Amino acid sequence: MTPDESAARPGAPQGIDPRGPRFAAWITSALLLVATFLGLTGLSTSSGPASFGWFAYQPLADSTWGAWALPTAPLAVRVLDPGFLAALIVAALFLWGVLSPTTSPWSVLFRRVVRPRLTPPTELEVPRPPRFAQGVGLFVVGAGLVLHLAGVPIALPIATAAAFVAAFLNAAFGFCLGCQMYLLLQRAGVVGRGPRIA
Amino acid sequence: MRGHIRSAHATRAYRGGVSPASALVVLAALLAVAGIAGVAWRRLDGRRRRGAGAVDLSDLGAAPGRTTLVQFTAETCARCPQVRRMLQGIADALPGVDLVEVDLTHRPDIARRHHVLSTPTTFVIGPTGEQSARFNGVPRRADVEAALSELSALQEAS
Repeated sequence: MTPDESAARPGAPQGIDPRGPRFAAWITSALLLVATFLGLTGLSTSSGPASFGWFAYQPLADSTWGAWALPTAPLAVRVLDPGFLAALIVAALFLWGVLSPTTSPWSVLFRRVVRPRLTPPTELEVPRPPRFAQGVGLFVVGAGLVLHLAGVPIALPIATAAAFVAAFLNAAFGFCLGCQMYLLLQRAGVVGRGPRIA
Repeated sequence: MRGHIRSAHATRAYRGGVSPASALVVLAALLAVAGIAGVAWRRLDGRRRRGAGAVDLSDLGAAPGRTTLVQFTAETCARCPQVRRMLQGIADALPGVDLVEVDLTHRPDIARRHHVLSTPTTFVIGPTGEQSARFNGVPRRADVEAALSELSALQEAS
């Protein structure tokens, strides 16, 4: 079987073209950069008495959150923040990459459009490490989303910025930060304590 | 209600958090940090480090009296297969050298005992059980071969 056939078949043990995950990492880093920009310029870092479009929200006068606008914003406003929506899209794509790596949009785009223009891969990679890294990305961005919903300022752009660094290292240098974290997470007791876990 | 609407207009300037220009500066700094981290990682990855001396190999399956390359892997390790192929090529070419692969996916105890924090990590173990070199990351083939030839030179001298 040629590498092309094996990589196109889901679950094929022969492995995947390593340029696929890196191609996806370029798009993911671009999306995370946009999400970080929207997060920075949006509600997450807003200060002062919050006002939301056509209706004004009066924050509590003795708010312990000081000048931040996010803790006093209604939930709907937190959800409709462009930075939140952008990060939500990235998180959904991470989830897709964890659940079904072969059908995720960027891997389909790579197979259909990019790889036919490239030379055949010189070596194949196992699919599990990039999948694990997508899970780490999902966790980081998901934590930012939850903290944003809970009203914690700046949490969302920090989370997307951290995920951007990881995605960029993967795209530009082929360094899979999420994969590297496995043994550290294991040491912390999060994954891989016994057989068939993680 | 009218007063509220007016206050909405009065505080509109607060909306939007960091200004777009400042946000772009932050993004540029982020890119610079990521780029520097990547270059630094590339320089440090796979460098030869000094071995830790005598190591207990009973849990690694290395035979005493043989020169052994011990490679630590994990199922989530993207670059381990390429390292294994390279080390296998070296071990196949040198009759006195074994390759032992240790999967740490479900063995945090081994990772802790041998201070392995990331995969791939490769040990070069001499016939006396002495760890003569250690590589964190993807080692260069020439560096592994140099470490092995130092070992065999030592053996011949003694």
